[in-house]
Amino acid sequence: MNLKRKLALSDISGFALASVLVLTIFNVILQNSLLTQNSAGNALLALSSHEGVANAVTTVVVYFRGFDTLGEIAVLFIASLGIGLILENPHAKQGKKEESNFMLKTAAKLLFPIILLFGIYIMVYGHLSPGGGFQGGVIIASGVLLLLISSNNFHMPHKLIAILETFAGISYVFIGLIGLLLLDTFLGNFLPHDISQMGMLFSGGIIPIIYIIVGIKVGSEMSFIVQNLLQRGEHD
Amino acid sequence: MIEIILSYLNQDIVIQKIVLIGSMSLLLIGLFGLLTQRHIIKVFMSVAIMESSLFLFFIGSTFNKNFTAPILGDGHVDFIHMNDPIPHAMILTAIVIGMAVLALGISFAIEYFKLTSITDIDRMNEMKN
Amino acid sequence: MIGFIILFTFIALIIVAFAALVQKKLEDSIILFMGIGLGSVILFFTFNAPDVALTEAVIGSGVSTFIFLTALKHLRSEQ
Repeated sequence: MNLKRKLALSDISGFALASVLVLTIFNVILQNSLLTQNSAGNALLALSSHEGVANAVTTVVVYFRGFDTLGEIAVLFIASLGIGLILENPHAKQGKKEESNFMLKTAAKLLFPIILLFGIYIMVYGHLSPGGGFQGGVIIASGVLLLLISSNNFHMPHKLIAILETFAGISYVFIGLIGLLLLDTFLGNFLPHDISQMGMLFSGGIIPIIYIIVGIKVGSEMSFIVQNLLQRGEHD
Repeated sequence: MIEIILSYLNQDIVIQKIVLIGSMSLLLIGLFGLLTQRHIIKVFMSVAIMESSLFLFFIGSTFNKNFTAPILGDGHVDFIHMNDPIPHAMILTAIVIGMAVLALGISFAIEYFKLTSITDIDRMNEMKN
Repeated sequence: MIGFIILFTFIALIIVAFAALVQKKLEDSIILFMGIGLGSVILFFTFNAPDVALTEAVIGSGVSTFIFLTALKHLRSEQ
């Protein structure tokens, strides 16, 4: 026991010494190379003023890097597919858990509509203020988590999640293909996007529509993940 | 005295150094946890800390305190004097993806525990021989 | 002032991260891990990135904690 404690102490001190060395090397090497001018960022900022969207991050996520975002929600879909494959039990026996608290039940009934409304607001106003589809989808999933914790027999129907997710994925690709047909670029902005309308709710062409679609997809996938993680151990 | 320290800390190069050294220290602490802790939840937690430190480094390395957030608000009419929006967009999606992959790893750990009742990663050696 | 805020938050983050990793009880460790998410939110907002701060506030200190607590519940259910 004594030997083990001494060994751990020397391990920690050696690790601290190595950390100081590595940090010194980083400090010397990167001292002058960090303060660079962001030329690519400035170019994208100059370009994003043509799209009529007030939030430049939204323009980069949905429009300039729109194809990457399609790939990333595909990664999210594959992760939730793996979780469903591992954890989901189709022959689940419902009920027979311990009753949840009275206060939790009442608060969940009161809070769930507000959380849902807040998530939809974050999703729809993603092109005007900080927020967007990713954040709004996760907020909606946390509302679903509140319902799952409080209620005994609440269960997100599998068919609803499948329909929402399929609809969102297909319409993302479909809007991109319409842009390819009309403007010769995938995800081309074919709806009117006047710069004088910047800051209004209806502005920016297809960008808010695509962010809402991303929000639906992220929300349904996160709800699926949360539900499977929560209900795994209860029906063995 | 306090004013001197505050104005020293407000220089651009000092802020860059704080960001660099702080995020790299967080990365090394995550590595420390990965090497010394043996419970599977602690291992996943160390990986999450390392991920978080990389996000902080990515955003902080393009920070300039004279610029504003890349959103047009009251008073701004042009996209100039703004921080670089590209790292923001990349990290925004990386956080969500990282959480989903963490949930996938946790679900693997849960299933493994249901089969073998082992949470110590030193004893996970079924594939050894 | 901004430099002081960044320095202070980084020191707090490092202390909280080390404390979260060396705790004996896993519950304490998970709650301290939530503190790392909150510190990251402060830093992202200071770095002029409110979008990333919103995402980290929802995920880093909300859903991640839920995932770890659920894992703890499952890993202790049969002992």
